[in-house]
Amino acid sequence: MLSFVARSFVQKIVTLFFVSIVSFLIIYLAPGEPSQVDPLNPKFTPEMVERFRKEFHLDQPLYRQYLYFYGGFFSGKTVSWKDNEPALAKIEERFWNSLPLFIVGTIITWTLSFPVGIRAAIARNGIFDRSTTFIAYLLISIPGFFFAYLLIILIVTRLHVPVIGMETFGLGGTGTAALFMDRVWHLLLPSLLGATGGIAILSRYVRSQMLEVEGQDYIRTARAKGLSPEQVHYKHALRNALLPFVTMFGLILPGLIGGSVIIESIFSWPGMGRMAYEAILARDYPIVLTLNFISAVLVLLGTFISDVLYMIVDPRIRL
Amino acid sequence: MTVRRLLLYTPILIILFLLQSYFWIPTFEQQSRSNPHRLGEFINASIGDASILNPILAADASSSQINSLVFEGLVDRDANLDFRGRIARSWEIYEEAYFYYNESARIPGRGRLSPAALLTLLESAMAGELPLSPETQRSLNNIDTIEMINPEQSSVMRGAISLTLTPPQRFKLTLRSVDQNLFKSLATILGDDYFTSFAADAYLHSDAPVSLEQKNRYARELLPAIEHNPVILFHLRPQVTFHDGHVLDAYDVVFTYAALMDPKNLSPRIPDYEPVKRLEVPDPLTVRVIYKKLFSPALGTWSMGILPEHLLNDRALAEEARRLHKDPAAFSLRQSEFNRHPIGCGPFTFKEWKSDQYILLERFDGYWEGPPLYQRYFFRIIPDLLTQEMEFYAGTIDSYDAQPHQVNRLKNHPQYQSFSGLSFGYTYIGYNMRRPPFNDLRVRKALGMAIDVDQIIEYLLFGQGERITGPFVKQTDYYNHSLDSLPFDPQGALRLLEEAGWLPDDNGWLTRDGKRLQFTLITNSGNDLRKAILAIAQDAWRKIGIDVRTDMLEWSVFIQERVDKSDFDAVILGWGMSIEPDLYQIWHSSQTNAHQLNFVAFKNERADELIMKIRQEYDHNQQVAYCHRLHEIIAAEQPYTFLYATTWTALLDKRIVLQETNVAGETVYKKITPTKTGNYAFYFNKWIKLPEMPAFTAEN
Repeated sequence: MLSFVARSFVQKIVTLFFVSIVSFLIIYLAPGEPSQVDPLNPKFTPEMVERFRKEFHLDQPLYRQYLYFYGGFFSGKTVSWKDNEPALAKIEERFWNSLPLFIVGTIITWTLSFPVGIRAAIARNGIFDRSTTFIAYLLISIPGFFFAYLLIILIVTRLHVPVIGMETFGLGGTGTAALFMDRVWHLLLPSLLGATGGIAILSRYVRSQMLEVEGQDYIRTARAKGLSPEQVHYKHALRNALLPFVTMFGLILPGLIGGSVIIESIFSWPGMGRMAYEAILARDYPIVLTLNFISAVLVLLGTFISDVLYMIVDPRIRL
Repeated sequence: MTVRRLLLYTPILIILFLLQSYFWIPTFEQQSRSNPHRLGEFINASIGDASILNPILAADASSSQINSLVFEGLVDRDANLDFRGRIARSWEIYEEAYFYYNESARIPGRGRLSPAALLTLLESAMAGELPLSPETQRSLNNIDTIEMINPEQSSVMRGAISLTLTPPQRFKLTLRSVDQNLFKSLATILGDDYFTSFAADAYLHSDAPVSLEQKNRYARELLPAIEHNPVILFHLRPQVTFHDGHVLDAYDVVFTYAALMDPKNLSPRIPDYEPVKRLEVPDPLTVRVIYKKLFSPALGTWSMGILPEHLLNDRALAEEARRLHKDPAAFSLRQSEFNRHPIGCGPFTFKEWKSDQYILLERFDGYWEGPPLYQRYFFRIIPDLLTQEMEFYAGTIDSYDAQPHQVNRLKNHPQYQSFSGLSFGYTYIGYNMRRPPFNDLRVRKALGMAIDVDQIIEYLLFGQGERITGPFVKQTDYYNHSLDSLPFDPQGALRLLEEAGWLPDDNGWLTRDGKRLQFTLITNSGNDLRKAILAIAQDAWRKIGIDVRTDMLEWSVFIQERVDKSDFDAVILGWGMSIEPDLYQIWHSSQTNAHQLNFVAFKNERADELIMKIRQEYDHNQQVAYCHRLHEIIAAEQPYTFLYATTWTALLDKRIVLQETNVAGETVYKKITPTKTGNYAFYFNKWIKLPEMPAFTAEN
């Protein structure tokens, strides 16, 4: 076990190094310049543009810029080009905003998908199965932002209540309980919208995995023993169907950054996904690269967790 | 079974918990009832967050909007777009002009004159004792004093070379108003080549050998034959205080200028202040700004907010660097916390900034013009337009900029009041005049005549736009309203093309010397309006037999690879304009190189001359006359097909009104009316929100 941890740690460091190079190159070689360098502003003289490029080290060879960035990154000195704020502090602030969305969305997805998928698998080709299949494909194929818009328009024009952002504006002085409930209300739509897409996909996986397992001999044996259907499906079948989900579970971590870009932008939720999106548009390289690095770390951490979970779930697997 | 129940009930309970929160949320009508403070708050929304709340460093629209509320400049523009004093109570603009005595020059009819004799000659000319043309006499009448400055030897270092200057006498003329024709007028008395033949290099000696060319350059720089030094003298308002109670004085103005010019601070506004020679402070409430050269946009640049020196000078910055454990040597204004917690002397004080959520300002009770009526000002950041609209309907934003297609629906809505005006910018199709066939005026004109701009405005902009004929802001005096826009006339276009040698072949394509009239029209992706214009123009041109290809490129590729490198045939683009009529960067022939903004390579000597004159003319009426002529030239040359300026429409809750106190001391409410130029927020400081929708009589 210990040797596995050590081995995978070394491997992951090497991977991370290559990721850092590749992501750096992609961002720096892509066309465009930081929004501070604005060559199409009549007030900007070429000398000004030059001065800004120099300040951001954009006039140096690429490897030097690479060293500048990661040097600053590991000494915690990286600052955003947009407002000179430390990149890590900015990201931390957004992290706490994104977290409730992520947690609620994940819990709903990873609980509700199972009963839905299992029920569909048991009563295969029944009405429930057919209707969930239909709804799932509907949800998968219609883009999330479209649903978001429909829901927002419906709620605002019918119920006349605000739904955007993390809280209602101008609500000050109404008591802590009301303020808390206000936050909860604002969490409702984005987290549910984030979860619906997840449920649609995940319940399909659950269904197909269960179908595979349900035909096995040991399920027939369990039934023959006279166990209740619930015990058969939720204990004997589900445990054996779980294996692929362990891998998927490890990979939900990076969703913290990438999973919520659209929803966060529509609901003007000040989270990490929206921050990454806006940083890319403004070519705020320090923020983009830092987030990139963090999500690479999250991916590697996720795979590590799923490796470990594998060992726990299936004792046959030795790493 | 527990697993199943757990998997089923957890999400259901969570969702139920989330749903019940609905009953705690106030609706649009309840908001002001449950929270009376809401009436004293103005909530605005913006697509992008601010980046730096420092007027000398900010370049983006969001930051500028907040800065204009927190900071105050020396001057700004009033309801008619004329200048009015803010921190500056009043100002005077005059000129100091200099020229060197030219010992080799012969004065027409008088031969060589000594400096003293020259002075006498000029004085007698000023007294009207010489027969002179009216223009020359006008220039002379404008001279307040002439004095002769006796020369002093001085030396300067240029690199390792020491230069010794032994200049001749110099004359200093103080003018009552700025006069760009002064030396032209004096030349009619002193001889046409009096100023041009001044041999500056004769008065320059270097300790090391330098090339003749180098020496001439130094001479021109250090001993210019003539020099215009316009001066703005600002008289500051006494007792204007910053939000921390510190009284603003002339040294804050000087500090703001110095901080802006400090290369360490990387201010994007340096080009505005480059022409400043120096600032003088005769007393703590007076600032004298002396310019190196004629620069008529000068006064407008002083609308920039003034920084508090006592919080940002070197000592304060060094202290802050120590507190934050940073290297004081590398710590500049750009790193200071001030940029996120600004202190100015504008009508609102800064309270809080939650990145990507909102910026909160509170009214400044000590504002010199009397505090605004709103208690708080929120600047919300909502990156999505549809969500902004929804928030407006929900009552959590007080104003919303309607999209063109919504204007007709919302303009007469019972709950909202609407304002509209023309935006300071325009959309155009630009032709690369370096390339044939665009170097032919007839072709450019024909291309413009083939496009039905009125239809574009009607169907694409839903009527929310106006045609324009040239590069000035339409609602200013500079715009020449006497010019007609290009008619929509495909037949006329064909005739013009025929004159230029382009004739239809058997398939209907226009050809000349066996080559088809063929080019590519490009624009940036991500802008639906430009995309639609691309298709409309292509279709219109195809109809008269021009083979047009189109291409859309991502913004940065579009700019870097095509526009900057002048590698295009025709582009669809837009310019955002300021009121100032300075067109140097976009239209002067010296600005046609790579990475410069005259990328269509418009070169016209008369236009160049007018652009320079406009830059140097301080008299508004004269400037307007020059602008009208320049507008005419550009409209005649058609380097662009000028398409339209869009109309914006802003919506406000009808409960927001103007509150005033009448002569009898009673509070009266008035409907918000826009100024002549369409600025509805001009009297923002008098706005207030009422609990119920007011009913106004017909005249009010």
